[in-house]
Amino acid sequence: MSVAPVIFVVDDDPSVRSSLRFLLSTVGLHAETFDSADSFLHKKPSDVPSCLVLDVRLPGLSGLDFQRELASRDIRIPIVFLTGHGDIPMSVRAIKAGAVEFLTKPFRDQDLLDAVRVALDRDRARREQEKEVADLKRRFDSLTSREQEVISLVVAGMLNKQIAAQLGTAESTVKVQRSRAMEKMHSASLAELIKMIEKVKAPSKAAS
Amino acid sequence: MNAEIQSATQTSEQLDLQMLIETIPAMVVCALPDGSVEFANRAWQEYTGGSLQQLRGSGWQTAIHPDDIRGFIEEWNASLPTGKPFAAEARMRRADGQYHWFLIRKALAVSPNRGGDSSLRTLIACEEIDERKQFEARLHQSETQLQAFLENSPSMIFLKDREGRYLYANREFKRVVGITEEHINGKRDNELFSGEQASVFQASDRQVLEAGETIEFEQVTVQKDGQHTSIVQKFPLFDADDEIYAIGGIVADITERKREESARRYIEESHRLIVETASDAVVSMDETGAIRFANPSTMRIFGYDPTELIGKPLAVLMPEWMRKLHDAGFRRYLATGQRHMNWQGTELTALRKNGEEFPVEVSFGELTRDGHKVFTGFIRDISARKEAEEKLRASERTLRELTETIPQMLWSAEPDGAIDYCNQRVLDYTGLSAEQVRGAGWMKTVHRDDIETMSRAWTAAVSSGEPFQQEFRCLRAADRAYRWCISRALPQRDQSGRIIKWFGTVVDLHDWKEAQQALQMTQAELARVSRLTTMGELAASIAHEVNQPLTAVTNNGSACLRLLANRSLDPEVLRRALEEIVADGTRASAVVARIRAFIKKAPAETSELDINEVIQEVLALAGHELHKNQVLVECQLTKALPLVRADRIQLQQVLLNLIMNGIEATMGVTVQPRALSLESRIDESGNVLVAVRDSGAGLGPEADRLFTPFFTTKANGMGMGLPISRSLIESHGGRLWATANSPHGAVFWFTLPAAGENPS
Repeated sequence: MSVAPVIFVVDDDPSVRSSLRFLLSTVGLHAETFDSADSFLHKKPSDVPSCLVLDVRLPGLSGLDFQRELASRDIRIPIVFLTGHGDIPMSVRAIKAGAVEFLTKPFRDQDLLDAVRVALDRDRARREQEKEVADLKRRFDSLTSREQEVISLVVAGMLNKQIAAQLGTAESTVKVQRSRAMEKMHSASLAELIKMIEKVKAPSKAAS
Repeated sequence: MNAEIQSATQTSEQLDLQMLIETIPAMVVCALPDGSVEFANRAWQEYTGGSLQQLRGSGWQTAIHPDDIRGFIEEWNASLPTGKPFAAEARMRRADGQYHWFLIRKALAVSPNRGGDSSLRTLIACEEIDERKQFEARLHQSETQLQAFLENSPSMIFLKDREGRYLYANREFKRVVGITEEHINGKRDNELFSGEQASVFQASDRQVLEAGETIEFEQVTVQKDGQHTSIVQKFPLFDADDEIYAIGGIVADITERKREESARRYIEESHRLIVETASDAVVSMDETGAIRFANPSTMRIFGYDPTELIGKPLAVLMPEWMRKLHDAGFRRYLATGQRHMNWQGTELTALRKNGEEFPVEVSFGELTRDGHKVFTGFIRDISARKEAEEKLRASERTLRELTETIPQMLWSAEPDGAIDYCNQRVLDYTGLSAEQVRGAGWMKTVHRDDIETMSRAWTAAVSSGEPFQQEFRCLRAADRAYRWCISRALPQRDQSGRIIKWFGTVVDLHDWKEAQQALQMTQAELARVSRLTTMGELAASIAHEVNQPLTAVTNNGSACLRLLANRSLDPEVLRRALEEIVADGTRASAVVARIRAFIKKAPAETSELDINEVIQEVLALAGHELHKNQVLVECQLTKALPLVRADRIQLQQVLLNLIMNGIEATMGVTVQPRALSLESRIDESGNVLVAVRDSGAGLGPEADRLFTPFFTTKANGMGMGLPISRSLIESHGGRLWATANSPHGAVFWFTLPAAGENPS
């Protein structure tokens, strides 16, 4: 993956923002900074691996509220929380809601960089998974409707004979359709096909 | 008569007309067709006393009364050519010159006169009707009289036929009913009155017809001006056959009389009631001194039933020793008209039936009726009043004793300020004698340092008339120690507002003052605790505020270290990083310094302060909290305000408290912009005034209790913030209060005296 990731920093303190950008730059990471949750929401969603470094105490929308807001908008970006005065209940809530890490200011530089790295990895994995599913969907969509039907019955564990009986066609015809579908789906075995179809049919899940 | 003449002429032509005419007992003249008289019979000639010659032609007419002649001749001449019968009434002169009324008639006759010459003749017969005329005149006169009586009667009079149709109604009737003659005749009651009333009238009409005699009854009718009561008499009128042909009625309105009667009865009743219910005993006696009347109050006052007193001598109502005096005085009065006592409100002693004597106030009235004198006495029991007077005297005595025994120092002074009285307590406390205290002598007891303020305050009060109040140290005789006392005084004024006396008290408040000081120390400690509580609330904010620069510092430092490890640290990058580190370090230490200053336990240390400066400091302290909660702060600080003498930390605490409250108040608000405004200015009294306005929900119904300790509307509040803020401001000589903000929210105000005004 050669695309450069981006770190989004949201903090109302300009010193903190600039020092974070500086710190991240020392490990070759590019940061974009925002002074409020609102200004972050107004930017175009990125299509490169990215994560969010977020102060819990923000003017207006708090960090935790912001986290909820992102989830409701189906923006699945991993979050690293920063807090000046965090307490345990607050951090538990944040982690439960999918935060990568909850760091208390001032933090060790390595802790932040590690958290950012984990977050980026998570985002990358999610993006890859989403890409694979999209690929499989495309292949599945290229099947004729009869092929899709046959495949669905195959995956459900029916024999060719049974499928032919159900669809009111010859067993030989089912055989041809089945092998053509396997070919189109780029699947070498029945086991692989079943996995593929599961991925296609499964409702897309957050990759966090 | 005319007919007789004619028939006689026709039936017997043999008869000599002239002879016939002569024998008729009427006056007859025979005239030719041209009207000239041929002859007149003897009766005529005798009556008029004129000769036949004089009557010839139209000479006979000279006997007719000049007043009647003109009309007569006209009719006569008109009748001649027609030959029609003629009749007229006229007065004719008798031979003696007197006129009498005659009915003069004319008839035509064919007369076979002498020589067979038959021709038309006119016969004129005159019949005396004087008597009838006189009767007619009398009748007319009596009718006119009757009419006058009827028309002028104040009663309503009417006549109806059997069918109830009005034949006559007099003027009063028409006036009351409101109609004119032409409208009433032939009308029935139901055309003139309401159906209800008409049927009542008609019913009584029927009664008259049935009874055939006069009936009389009282009747109530409603007229334009209200209800009227009348006496009605209805009677039948009989014709020659004894049949009733009409009903007459006379209606006499007695409303006014009734009214007068009831008014008189009312007055009598009222008088009787007044006497009956009077709280005074009312007793009348005659010339013999015997009681003739006693009202019910006599029972209550004297114990006698009013009836048992009748006939008894008045003397039974007085004690034995008064009776002779009364008898003598009464006899003298009857004899000489000389009164032996005042008749209006004399205080005497009376005697109850049970033998008890009691004070009374007596007034007498005298009335002469049928030549006899009646005396009426109004006797008031004044034992209660006497008792009250005695009580008042007793209470005055008690009050005097009270001033001497009350455990409080009391004094009074002349309008000019000279002390004229001190109670025993003052003398005991100061050890001075009543003489020594007089005038300005009391000044000896005042502490040297307080003498000037004390005398200035007293002089000011005396000259202005304002209430006096002054604290001073007073020497207590018992231990020769100066103790804090407060003296207060109020002026007593007469009706014109002039001061006639000053009344004052002195209270030893030394112990109270000491307690007050102890309380103040406790309060200072409480204030510190409250400060810490406020800081606790602020802690999260403050941690954030300190951690921000620290985070920037460590980030910048770490980044530099990393670059240094990679040997890729550009000196320019390092310089910038270091600059930021220094700036953030400075920022962090400033925050810490502010907090330390605020928390430290320091005794109140007053200095002259610019309130605006304190406001700015507190805004910096609360800045993050305001920013975090998105509360806009608007400052309207008046420049160049007078300085205030105050403890900086305490003022900060008060302001911080008010601002934190303001922030919290706006938290529930989502619609309006969350705003907090701070204002400083000079108020009307020259004090420095600070207002903290919020746009929150307002004070609500619990506004009164805001300043009560431990009252709180917050989930985790202590309820001490506002009470402590208030006591802090008051300890600086100021005031703190709250009002509603418009259109919503609350305003907290406090004042502080300007430093120049109160140097203490």
